[in-house]
Amino acid sequence: MKPYTFLLLLCLALTVRAQEAAQPSCGDCHDEAKAFVTNPHARGAVVKGVVPNDVCTTCHGDGAEHIESGGDKTKITVPRGLSGANDTCLLCHEETRGGMHANTNQVNCLTCHSIHKSDPRSPHLVAKPQLALCGTCHTQAASMRNKPFAHRLDRGGMTCSTCHDPHGRRAKGERSLALLGHLRTTRAGEAPCVSCHTEKRGPFVFSHGGLETGECTTCHETHGSSNPKQLVRATVQQVCIECHSPIAAATLGSQPPSFHNLSLPRYQNCTTCHVAVHGSNRDPQLLK
Amino acid sequence: MRYRWLLLALCLTAAHVSAQTMPIPMPIDIEIGYRWTDVSGNENMYRTQINEDEGLLIRALTLATSDLRLDVSDLGAGPAGALRLETRRDGWYRFNLRYRRADAFSALPAFALGQHTFDRTRDLVDGEIEILRWKAIKPFIGYTWNRYEGPGTTTWHVGQDEFLLSQDLRDTDRELRAGATFEFGSVSGQLTQGWRTFRGRETLTLAPGANNGNNSDPVLGRPITVSALTRDERTDVDTPFTSFSIGGQAGSRVRVTGNFVRFAADGDATGADDVTGSLASFAISRFFNGIAEESASRAKNTTWRIGVRGDIAFTDKVDLTAGYRREHRELDGSALIRTLYLQSVTFGGADPRDFEVVLRAENALRRDEDVLDAALLVRPVGPLALRAGISQSNLDVNVAPDLAEIVVDGGQGGAFDRRVRTFLLDGSYSLGGFTLGASLQSSGANDPILRTDFLERDRYRVRASWKAPKFVRLGFVADETQQSNDRPGIGYDSTLRQYTGDVVLTPVEQVSLHASASRFHADSTILFRHPENFRIDESIHVERGKSLEGGVAVTWPRASFEGDLTHFENEGAIPFKLDRSRARVTVQVHGTFGIGAEWARDKYTESAFAVADYEASRYGVFLLLRR
Repeated sequence: MKPYTFLLLLCLALTVRAQEAAQPSCGDCHDEAKAFVTNPHARGAVVKGVVPNDVCTTCHGDGAEHIESGGDKTKITVPRGLSGANDTCLLCHEETRGGMHANTNQVNCLTCHSIHKSDPRSPHLVAKPQLALCGTCHTQAASMRNKPFAHRLDRGGMTCSTCHDPHGRRAKGERSLALLGHLRTTRAGEAPCVSCHTEKRGPFVFSHGGLETGECTTCHETHGSSNPKQLVRATVQQVCIECHSPIAAATLGSQPPSFHNLSLPRYQNCTTCHVAVHGSNRDPQLLK
Repeated sequence: MRYRWLLLALCLTAAHVSAQTMPIPMPIDIEIGYRWTDVSGNENMYRTQINEDEGLLIRALTLATSDLRLDVSDLGAGPAGALRLETRRDGWYRFNLRYRRADAFSALPAFALGQHTFDRTRDLVDGEIEILRWKAIKPFIGYTWNRYEGPGTTTWHVGQDEFLLSQDLRDTDRELRAGATFEFGSVSGQLTQGWRTFRGRETLTLAPGANNGNNSDPVLGRPITVSALTRDERTDVDTPFTSFSIGGQAGSRVRVTGNFVRFAADGDATGADDVTGSLASFAISRFFNGIAEESASRAKNTTWRIGVRGDIAFTDKVDLTAGYRREHRELDGSALIRTLYLQSVTFGGADPRDFEVVLRAENALRRDEDVLDAALLVRPVGPLALRAGISQSNLDVNVAPDLAEIVVDGGQGGAFDRRVRTFLLDGSYSLGGFTLGASLQSSGANDPILRTDFLERDRYRVRASWKAPKFVRLGFVADETQQSNDRPGIGYDSTLRQYTGDVVLTPVEQVSLHASASRFHADSTILFRHPENFRIDESIHVERGKSLEGGVAVTWPRASFEGDLTHFENEGAIPFKLDRSRARVTVQVHGTFGIGAEWARDKYTESAFAVADYEASRYGVFLLLRR
């Protein structure tokens, strides 16, 4: 290669480089763009610690006119509300379109997720800690935590989404049915309670019929209770006797023998004898 | 050992980070400090309800890059903490690791005579790696480990008395799973095969000083005492499971999904009891001086579920979703229990000998449930949105208990059928910052299976909110659920009613004020029969709860303050008051370093049972590093 050819190519390369350098970056004006380097949406695109404009234009559209106009806000797309979710988020996150939290004006992707200003200590770009976020609408469930016996939500790992799937697992065709709530099942398809309380899963030779035909919530209040053990009634005998009184109708639940004198403290605490209320492998009357 | 998972995660993180070129500092948020506690009154009740412990605490630790995130919250001084690590390398792998630890404590003065207590720990680790080398198929393998262990106390009704036992429990549940997610054109899904094992071990011994049992009265003139008692129980359960889901797009407006889940739990349990003392049994009409019992049992639970669902988007604003699900469960159990009553005599003192009772029990339960549902969702048409749905579930249960389980005839087995039909209608009106929503859910059933099953249930809900940009948000929710079963001999009637109003004010960006008030009413009645005299009576449960909350959050350039007050008051079955106060201050001292201090106070009082009352304060000082 002749020297002048080399110089020509060098000049050309420097010109191109200079032009590239002259291309303004979103981060030149927007601090959010700089901070976006840690955002999952920038995954795989960050080059030497800089978020390329392409990452921003994915959601905000081509920013050329916005830049040329000196930052005119009307010349850039800012996804907001239902239309923002439909036209931006769901283009990639299609699987979250349906379910109870389907896109409406009231609840859409951007109601719960904040792409640029999420809670720094919460994953998945949620706008606030979960209890505060879900409690914005689900005030009843959130206020249950004020009761004395409750799961410890937002204190050390357990959150609303430990048991509930806000997107309804619709993509997996599971219990996202419109009327059946959003419980997060175990991988074997069981209720979320036994994903932690594995010892209650059984199977038991002498199972408690109420547990097998009903569910945990037959006896327990999951969100919080005024009663010990998060029971649905204030005393154990009341929980038990309400089912174990086959007066007339053919229902499941046997009558205690007559020596169970409920006026005596000994028989008011059913679980003092019937300790294995969730099921037993050793005793037909659930005594151990 | 307590923090080995934290160390593992930190090492993995360090290895991952060191493998990357980091031209900018990795954002980091650490809050670590010490918490002191000051509890007066019933400490056991405090521990049962709150259990926040004294000691070193990692309140928060967050490291985040675009392809790695490590979160730690409340690890250290109990009661609960968690760690979560997510990392991925595009085109190679995605790795998730979660660790959660929770202290479980219960020692209630009035529950089961205060004799059922535990002080245990649950550790849960879950890891999964997914290989991202291929676009169409992404294999994964995961492992979950869940251990629940620690001491407790319980009781055993033996020899016509109840004896307090010291208990040591160690349950370990492991799950190994492998599978793949797949995506071929518009068809995608997931197949998982898993193997779960549960190993439970429980040993029990007579608690110190419990030799005389709960009841001092002799039985037929003979004092009932135990001089030595041991029990050892083991449970092994193996559960293979399969899960498969598939979904596909049929044209641009129809999506069909299906899923299948099956698990087959096979459990073996053994038990051995040794008791010596002075005892009696009405079942064999004898006095005896000891028990040697051995049991071996086997229980199986085979469950499968299949579901199919179709979603049709008639227009961009109108969706119809309909689905069908069937679940089948079979429970079978058998047990062989050999009980040797040592040195027994009849109640009259005759026929001295060891007396053996062998029980061979077999029972079964079948349960089938079919659920059919359909819902129509009309997305916003102007300010209006509507949803209407219907579902029907049919539950068939067949319970065949062993005769040994039936003490009093009736109610312990048979065939049961329950059909529940539910209608749902809800709508909302949104205009500007104002939203008004209402929903009605009405269910009817043909028969109950349990006495507390409803025949009629209606749920009403009204919600209103108003939000002015950056200044005020007002909300109000009223919710009522009525359920009843007017069958003769049941007479079940229940009403739950709750009203909640809340307001959030943000007069300036740095200040946020919030307050809420809530009332909770629960009324439930159902007939029951006294076992001792067969008198029919009414079981009544009443709660009148009132909750008030208020708080403020202020943020300055180098400092912040948060304060909250909560008052919860309940009248009815268990009248109590619970007052909670929280305050937290952070100050940025220098650069990225800061100091945080927090204070919390809980005061619990029961007007009818003052022995349960406590007052607990916690103080914490934390170092902050935020970059």
